[in-house]
Amino acid sequence: MQSEKIISTHDIKEPGIKRISPDETLEVCARRIIGDYFRKMMSYKEGAKDGTDIEFVHDMRVTSRRLRAAMDNFADCFREKPFKKHYKKIKAITRTMGAVRDLDVLIARFQREVDTLSEVEQTDIHGLIAHLRHEREEARKPMLTLFTELEATDFETEFLAFFVGAVCNSDTER
Amino acid sequence: MDEVAKAHKIIGVAPGRSYHENARIILPQKIEEVWTWEPFIRDAARREELHNMRISIKRLRYTMELFHVAYRNSSQQERLVTESNTQLLCAESQQPVTDSRYVEFLAVIVDLQEILGDVHDCDVVLDVLTAYANGAGAEVLAPSVATLIARTKETRKADYETFLRKWEHLSTRDFKQKLLSFLAK
Repeated sequence: MQSEKIISTHDIKEPGIKRISPDETLEVCARRIIGDYFRKMMSYKEGAKDGTDIEFVHDMRVTSRRLRAAMDNFADCFREKPFKKHYKKIKAITRTMGAVRDLDVLIARFQREVDTLSEVEQTDIHGLIAHLRHEREEARKPMLTLFTELEATDFETEFLAFFVGAVCNSDTER
Repeated sequence: MDEVAKAHKIIGVAPGRSYHENARIILPQKIEEVWTWEPFIRDAARREELHNMRISIKRLRYTMELFHVAYRNSSQQERLVTESNTQLLCAESQQPVTDSRYVEFLAVIVDLQEILGDVHDCDVVLDVLTAYANGAGAEVLAPSVATLIARTKETRKADYETFLRKWEHLSTRDFKQKLLSFLAK
């Protein structure tokens, strides 16, 4: 489902990108951008786990997509095997978040639609919304399992060590 | 859910060369990926290809957002070259400004992504309503579900027509070639 906030193209807000000098090498820029996107994505994790505010899942998913776009473009800056391993994890994050977000968007849409129907007609759509809520709870399970796995394997530290490494340690301290 | 095509492998990237130079290697390939779906879009029923075009457009959008710093306002670029004014890069109040034409091109890409997103949303809603109706097992479709299906079909048709109108308008204005030429400079 389409779920992205409309970003004003007159005010491009990307983590760290404005700090980049286009004269620097791609490798240096790639490490900085991927590190910044990754930290931004992970900053939404606790909110996504909590699940009360649906925007955390949305923000984490969108940032994971931006991160993947950067990784797709900059893949040649990194060793192939570990790159692929990390890429797969990010893809899994996008996928599991996507399943939850799609249901959030559908529930919100049908909740808006229900007000436009007659009282009698509303019953069916309330049933549909209840069904989708149940599916959402089911869709959250793989997401939570993935988070647990990422935490148990110290994925965050490993990812940053590989992509950011010693080159941009000053960035990690920001 | 529609199957999403993988991003095309980017070739020719030079990690040791500048961000600026690599922008000119990567961005044209992202544009070409979008246009690989062009032959299918005049058929409203090709939902998988329309969905894949949306994803390719989104990848182009994100890539353009990544590289906006490599397309500065030309007067600023001149000042940087002639004055070697490194402070211009550092001072928060004097952040380099992205070329306005780049921003305009990006706005078109975002617009296309959003309208294709609306089309896709309708396809998903229709899938959900149909599955729900079938799962209910009733021989006659519930009036509320029938109402929403009819309404969503109408919205989908209108959104698709809007998209196609915009696309054809851009095609007649040679948008792709103009974008490629601008990005190559």
